[in-house]
Amino acid sequence: MRSTHWRMLFAALAAMSLALFVAACGDDEETTTGASGSQTTATTEPAEEAKKFEAGTTLGDIQKKGEITIGVKFDVPPFGFKNTSSGEVEGFDIDMGKAVAEALGVKPKFIEAISDNRIPFLEKGTADLILSTMTINEERVGQIAFSDPYFIAKGRILVKKDNADVTGIDTLSGKTVCTALGSTYEATLKSQAPDAKLKLVDSYSECLELLQNDTVEAISTDDVILTGMIIQTGDELKLVGDQLTQEPYGAGIKLGETEFVDFVNETFTKVKEDGRYKASFDKWVGKFTGEEAEPPSISVDEAVELVKQNGK
Amino acid sequence: MTLAFFDWFSENNNGRYMLEGFATNLEIALIAIVFAFIVGLGLALLRLSRNRIVSYAAGIWIDVFRNLPLILLVIFLALLLPESWRDFWTDNVPGWAPEAFESGLILGAFMALILYNSAVLAEIMRAGILSLAKGQGEAASALGMTYGQSLRFVILPQGLRRMVPALVSQLITLNKDTTLVSLIAIQEVVRRGRIVNANSGNPFTGSETEAPYLEVFIFIGILFVAVNYALSRLSRRLEIRERKRTGTTVEQVKGLEDQVAVEPA
Amino acid sequence: MPTAFVDILTDNFGEFSSGFWVTVRLVVVAFAIAMVVGTLIGAFRVAPNKWLQRAGGLYVEFFRNIPLLVLLILLFYGLRDKNGPGIPITGFVAGVLGLGLYTAAYIAEALRSGVFSVSKGQIEASLSLGFSYTETMRRIILPQAFRTVISPIGSLIIAMIKNSAVIGVALALDDLLKVGRTIQSRNFQTFETFFWAGVGYLILTGLVTVVIRQLENRYAIKR
Repeated sequence: MRSTHWRMLFAALAAMSLALFVAACGDDEETTTGASGSQTTATTEPAEEAKKFEAGTTLGDIQKKGEITIGVKFDVPPFGFKNTSSGEVEGFDIDMGKAVAEALGVKPKFIEAISDNRIPFLEKGTADLILSTMTINEERVGQIAFSDPYFIAKGRILVKKDNADVTGIDTLSGKTVCTALGSTYEATLKSQAPDAKLKLVDSYSECLELLQNDTVEAISTDDVILTGMIIQTGDELKLVGDQLTQEPYGAGIKLGETEFVDFVNETFTKVKEDGRYKASFDKWVGKFTGEEAEPPSISVDEAVELVKQNGK
Repeated sequence: MTLAFFDWFSENNNGRYMLEGFATNLEIALIAIVFAFIVGLGLALLRLSRNRIVSYAAGIWIDVFRNLPLILLVIFLALLLPESWRDFWTDNVPGWAPEAFESGLILGAFMALILYNSAVLAEIMRAGILSLAKGQGEAASALGMTYGQSLRFVILPQGLRRMVPALVSQLITLNKDTTLVSLIAIQEVVRRGRIVNANSGNPFTGSETEAPYLEVFIFIGILFVAVNYALSRLSRRLEIRERKRTGTTVEQVKGLEDQVAVEPA
Repeated sequence: MPTAFVDILTDNFGEFSSGFWVTVRLVVVAFAIAMVVGTLIGAFRVAPNKWLQRAGGLYVEFFRNIPLLVLLILLFYGLRDKNGPGIPITGFVAGVLGLGLYTAAYIAEALRSGVFSVSKGQIEASLSLGFSYTETMRRIILPQAFRTVISPIGSLIIAMIKNSAVIGVALALDDLLKVGRTIQSRNFQTFETFFWAGVGYLILTGLVTVVIRQLENRYAIKR
């Protein structure tokens, strides 16, 4: 009887061990999304006339080190995301980051900066630069320095391609719309579309699930996130309606680093003017939304004012 | 169902991705039950204390946490957890810990699981200890043992043995409950199942085949049913063994989905 | 209590209240389903037919060992999936079906032990008096079995109340917990908001405990 008891115990533990065994053994390949880490990408072109900065200044130190640490998103296509087949981080923010690195003559090192970490990373020095879908607003301007806006995300509405009923915020009455708990869109929708039925969820991935199975008819949030959803689902969804809100994105830099800020602004201006901006935009955004590139030309203060206008 | 049933499984390491996630669930369950046992034992002893106030207070605590939904505790603690604690965790997580444990939120998940299950286990333990014939405690004191000694050498060893089936039963429930942490975005099997479904069928993410919810989650269901069924058989075996050992008139402590019923064998 | 604490409840009372009643509706409907299905499966389990017993056994083993969340996702997202059946089941129906079928397995087992606790002699006497098996079940065994299981079923109702909280957050339905979470996302008063949501659940479980105790005192057969 002892032996049968042990057999049973063994069988049960074997069942539990099997999954653990499969997980522990095998190659250490990268599986799908989720793992955070760092990426060092070699620049493809030699640095052209990189401005030399004095040793001892922040930029000089970066040049001496030979690499600049840039915090980006790893899970927000098309701005910052990990390509699961190549293992590289890619996106619009990454392109902007590469441009800055190139202008400095150094290699870019991309680390994951989730929303909550962005400002702490700059304050602690974990990252030199943040390009992580960060909106310029009054609160943040007191904590870090921003470059001039390099992208203006607009609040829009996403529906299925064959949906002819919803064309904008005024056509939402009686329809179910999804957005994230605690987002500014909850307030915007309540004031601008009071007859819409709101479904509030913890994450936008859930919103997408609900849209796909027709529990909701529309999703409302930044066009950045909505574009990511369009990309993720192939050819099923479209953006409709005018902008509901405007969120100007800026590159984040440690407070007080005026030389650094000026340098980034110079780089951005060059990128906007010499066609690199349009190329990146078309590749990452325009291809999916059909929109045209509109490089922003406002200042940080104007950006702050713009954000204050949201929800009014 | 098309003939291409389950072919998403071999694509893009999806199968391995899901099984790793399942391993995470089991790990969470095992860690949680160990800690819940320790805390639960402490709670049970408090509840059995001869100090009326302590016993009553422990009783209130146990009743409150046994009657609250576990998911409420999970979400509550995940939201309440101060960022400093989360950062501390992320900085100190050892490298060999599974990916799911890297997020500071897992701390909140563990706290909730341990808080809830320690209360449930405390009741199970109390029932187990009380199920012992009173004579045992009396004999022990007749032999000159103090209350503490009688607990350590006579009552606890036997009482805890009685509740092994209920403990295994609670482990089964815990295995199932670990899926709740997917709702705070922890990378276990249910969350991974949804990610697999989201990334499937779109060449941009590198996937050719669709992974429908039905297939993915029937697979997940089978994983749980298999492991939990094996555990329940083990529990029954242990029960029978215990019964044969100590005679059929002994009371057993059974757990029926987090509740405790002391039944005659 | 400091006023701010109570304010969280009074300011949002309408929402809390509506969430509370959604939870009540979920539990009531799910319980109805669970009792019907559970009695049926319980009957299978005690039937003299081996195939019925096995079928009942399969049901019980499946629904007791699968996580409720997985079941809910299967029923809602699985059935609605455009790449799958595409059945437009609503969140509420998926919720009560999932919770009901899940709990039915436990009710079936409770009934089974209830039936077995009725002495065999009664079954033999009844059969020898000319009652058929089904009549024996219906008129003699089951009524007694039900009276034995008042307490376990009470525990199961409490378990259902707690389990119902998963439905809201998993299937985007505005039950008490979901409402609490929504309110918290606006006011950031995590402790107070979840405190009141928790109180709501404790009220429900407390009420059930009291009612069950009353029923036990009046009807239960103690063996």
